[in-house]
Amino acid sequence: MSDERDKVEAVRTAFTEEFAPYADLRLDGMSLSDVESLLRGLGELKIKHSGKKSAIAATMKLIGGVAPEERGAFGQLVQSVEKEIANSIEAAEAGLNAFILNAKLERERIDVTLPGRRPRAGHLHLITILRQQIEDIFVSMGYAIENDREIETDYYNFDALNIPEGHPARESQDTFYTTNGFALRSQTSTVQIRAMERRGVPIRIIAPGKVFRRDTPDMTHVPMFHQIEGLCVDKGITMAHLKGTVTEWLQRLFGDDTITRFRPSYFPFTEPSAEFDFSCFKCHGTGRSDNDRCRPCKGSGWIELGGSGMVHPNVLRAVGVDPTEYSGFAFGFGLERMCAMMYALDDIRLMFDNDVRFLEQFR
Amino acid sequence: MNISYNWLKDLINVELSPIEVGEQLTRVGLAVEGIHEFGNDFVLDIDLTSNRPDCLSHLGVARELGVITETPLNERAAKYREVPLPAVLAGEVVTIEAPELCNRFTARIIRNVKIGPSPQWLVDRLEAIGERSINNVADITNYVMHELGQPMHAFDLDKLAGGRIIVRRAKDGETITTLDEVERTLSESMLAICDAEKPAAVAGIMGGLGSSISDDTVNVLLEVAYFDRENIRATSRKLNLATEASYRFERGVDVENLINASNRATQLICDLADGSAGDLIDIYPVKKSAIPVISNDISGTVRRLTGLAVAAKDCIRILSALGIRSSESETDPEDQLREFLSPTWRHDIAIEEDLVEEIARHAGYENIGTELPPAYGAGEYQANEQRLKRLRQTLTDTGFDEAISYSFIDTKYDGKFKTVPGISQTDLVTLNDSVIEGAVRMRPTLIPGLLAAVRHNFNQQRRNLKLYEIGKAFSAGDGYDELPNEKELLAMVLTGSETYEDRAMTGRELDFFDAKGSVEAALSAAGIENVKCSADMIDHLRPGQSADIKVGGETVGYLGRLSDEISATNKFRQPVFVAEVNLDLILDADVKTVVYKPLPKFPGISRDVSFIVKRNDVYSDLVAELETLKGGHFRDVKFVDIYEGAGIAEDERSLTVRLEYRSDDRTLTEAEVEALHDQIVKTIGEKLGIHPRI
Ligand SMILES: [Zn+2]
Repeated sequence: MSDERDKVEAVRTAFTEEFAPYADLRLDGMSLSDVESLLRGLGELKIKHSGKKSAIAATMKLIGGVAPEERGAFGQLVQSVEKEIANSIEAAEAGLNAFILNAKLERERIDVTLPGRRPRAGHLHLITILRQQIEDIFVSMGYAIENDREIETDYYNFDALNIPEGHPARESQDTFYTTNGFALRSQTSTVQIRAMERRGVPIRIIAPGKVFRRDTPDMTHVPMFHQIEGLCVDKGITMAHLKGTVTEWLQRLFGDDTITRFRPSYFPFTEPSAEFDFSCFKCHGTGRSDNDRCRPCKGSGWIELGGSGMVHPNVLRAVGVDPTEYSGFAFGFGLERMCAMMYALDDIRLMFDNDVRFLEQFR
Repeated sequence: MNISYNWLKDLINVELSPIEVGEQLTRVGLAVEGIHEFGNDFVLDIDLTSNRPDCLSHLGVARELGVITETPLNERAAKYREVPLPAVLAGEVVTIEAPELCNRFTARIIRNVKIGPSPQWLVDRLEAIGERSINNVADITNYVMHELGQPMHAFDLDKLAGGRIIVRRAKDGETITTLDEVERTLSESMLAICDAEKPAAVAGIMGGLGSSISDDTVNVLLEVAYFDRENIRATSRKLNLATEASYRFERGVDVENLINASNRATQLICDLADGSAGDLIDIYPVKKSAIPVISNDISGTVRRLTGLAVAAKDCIRILSALGIRSSESETDPEDQLREFLSPTWRHDIAIEEDLVEEIARHAGYENIGTELPPAYGAGEYQANEQRLKRLRQTLTDTGFDEAISYSFIDTKYDGKFKTVPGISQTDLVTLNDSVIEGAVRMRPTLIPGLLAAVRHNFNQQRRNLKLYEIGKAFSAGDGYDELPNEKELLAMVLTGSETYEDRAMTGRELDFFDAKGSVEAALSAAGIENVKCSADMIDHLRPGQSADIKVGGETVGYLGRLSDEISATNKFRQPVFVAEVNLDLILDADVKTVVYKPLPKFPGISRDVSFIVKRNDVYSDLVAELETLKGGHFRDVKFVDIYEGAGIAEDERSLTVRLEYRSDDRTLTEAEVEALHDQIVKTIGEKLGIHPRI
């Protein structure tokens, strides 16, 4: 049977020779297309050396010429060579396929750190952001939000607010007038009158809105800005309630450690009157931050915010409320000034330039 | 106002350091804004409120300090305490012809004065508070004003015609050259201090050049007077001339301080300029008595308004230290009813609440409690605030930045923009003047403001913009005397392309339908769904790309591409789309309540159909016609595409829509849908005279 064995061995040798390029594959550094062509070559090899029409399959037919007692051994030989060939091809195939898969994944690898495809979001105006925050605080404290006219009669802008004709605040060249004699409201206090006329007392309101003063625009002045006016009238309201209310909303906005300071002042529509300051949100009243003089409070530790006081009895009388029965407090402050301090803006005119490079810094 | 620390210490013995003085004054309402060193002195910069003219002097500030520290003022011995000249004799030198404008006038002649430089101490004092030294007599009058708060004027007696003074109204057209070398024309409403012939000073405001003190002056007439506050204010405004003197007179000086001030100045002139003083002339035609302030229970009122517990005796102690005297009840010591009389230097105490402030500021605002008012009803937003909030949020989420522009705009925009319904385009609101060149028009539209923002941003190389503004627009009221009409508007502007955060490359270029979609999205967020557009010619929009925005059939605004003319004026070289809506017309509408519709149980089948339509046929007509065929299995219609170009005639377009068919109780067969679809296409074709594209 040695002839038959030799033939089997010849098949094995022929395969081994043809398989040589795949026998000890070193794929490192090979291109995907080279490996793909190797795989194609291996495919041809596979067709040639495995399956029913292969040379090794043909050797099985030789078993007839083998002595019957040796047939078992011969069959085993053929099978083992057949298996050896199949295994070799399979292993090489797996190696090539793994390489190809890896190469393909590598080719489709993305840079996950590139920016997402995120439509540009817009931005609320700084004034709106702050106004909404403050409105939310006051609504939660039981206040109603009021809104009213921007062009007013002298009655609402001055007379009803205890600023009679001839009063310096009225004669000062601060107020814009229309050609038919109406005033652009110079303070949101006008809403005190309108709201009390509408709602009567007791009342708790805040009124945000635009006000106008004849200031030529510069770094610290603009002829139009926003104020928020607050008003609380009821039986038994005192300045302690004013201090408590102003302190409460400032603490909710700037944190529990915020403290307030009230200084005697003068406004025609309040008596007694007070200006209020709060401890600087940046340096917490120390006057220093980042090892330097604190910018928002200019090193004083205090930020001057607005005016306030007990509603003047003449204002209450103007809306038919008896000042011996009711008392109330009012306060007002400017949003631009507040924003300028909160964000250390050096030029208040930025608020109305509508420069998107500015607008998109706030959300 | 500048106050010298050393000067204060001349008037009151205080142990406080300059910083402590600053803190104490601030605490009671004289806000000390800064303290700086000047030589061996310290200068306090005080920001006074307009109700406290009595503190426009070292004496006034010392008084407040005296109340704080419970220290009496130093007595300044006046050298001349003589009885004034009898009125008959005084009349030879001073006549008051307008007593309604001059409550009191004092004069004194000081002879043989030597005009020269002031001594160093006087120069230092004036320079410390920022004043310039001129000569001894001028410096003394300035010094006494800053010390005692009383403005005064020194005339060269020999230059006064007739050597006498007549206080009278100026004659219309009478002129005077004032110390600042400006010739001023007076009128009868103004008070003049005249010699026998002509005005020598504008009363209370500025002296005349002709009768002023010069190096050759020998004899001086020193005027110390009290003028009507309103009249000084009015004259100062009319002449556009405000001085330290007018500032004090119009706010109110102390009528009972005139002699003291005159004496102090006289003494200094005699001491420093060798003068010899004559008799004091004092003409006081109308002596006004203070109106008492009545209080039933001052301590109780303090508690009621401030929450402070200050005993009645402490209230009275504070008030009395401030010079506010109280009447004691003689019959019943328990009776709280009192009358309070404010001193002549205070012009701001008229009612009990004014007394409360005086007591509270000295008792200390810091001692007032801090508590929240008792609970009350629930808070509430403006009726439309939640809708506006959602509208703003939607615009923000879809890439719009919120702008705020000035409410006054240039008149050059007049008539160029069609205003939204509710705001007149022609009856506008105009300001008398503006602080911004040309901007005297209260805006009837928000669009010019947004276009200014576009220009600004283009200049900063930001060419892809979506901006909106919500704010008021104005037009005239119904009649001349009516308040103007104010309406809340939403305006939007879009230009350039879609952009992405952190990416330089932009997306699709924005067009009309982005603007329209944004309007729809914004209004939908505010609960308004039935928004329709119809083509219209709009002043500021490009014909063919301009539309009315309608809600429930009513026009509420306009939308479209900015006209070529306005684009050119603004140097815009890319299409700009704008929209404006009158929110007040729509935000009051009821929000439709949502009613649940059962979900379909069986799948629907869609069929597209393209119609060839004329270029002036509109989609909305096609939809309206299709809507009438709805019901049965035909459920819905949606826009797919509009095409023009190759294969379509020049004056036509191909309009593709998708029709949806569905049954509620079974799955429709292809054949059924085919038949129904063909039927609908045929019906529409016949009705509108259009044909499906084959
Ligand atoms: Zn700070």
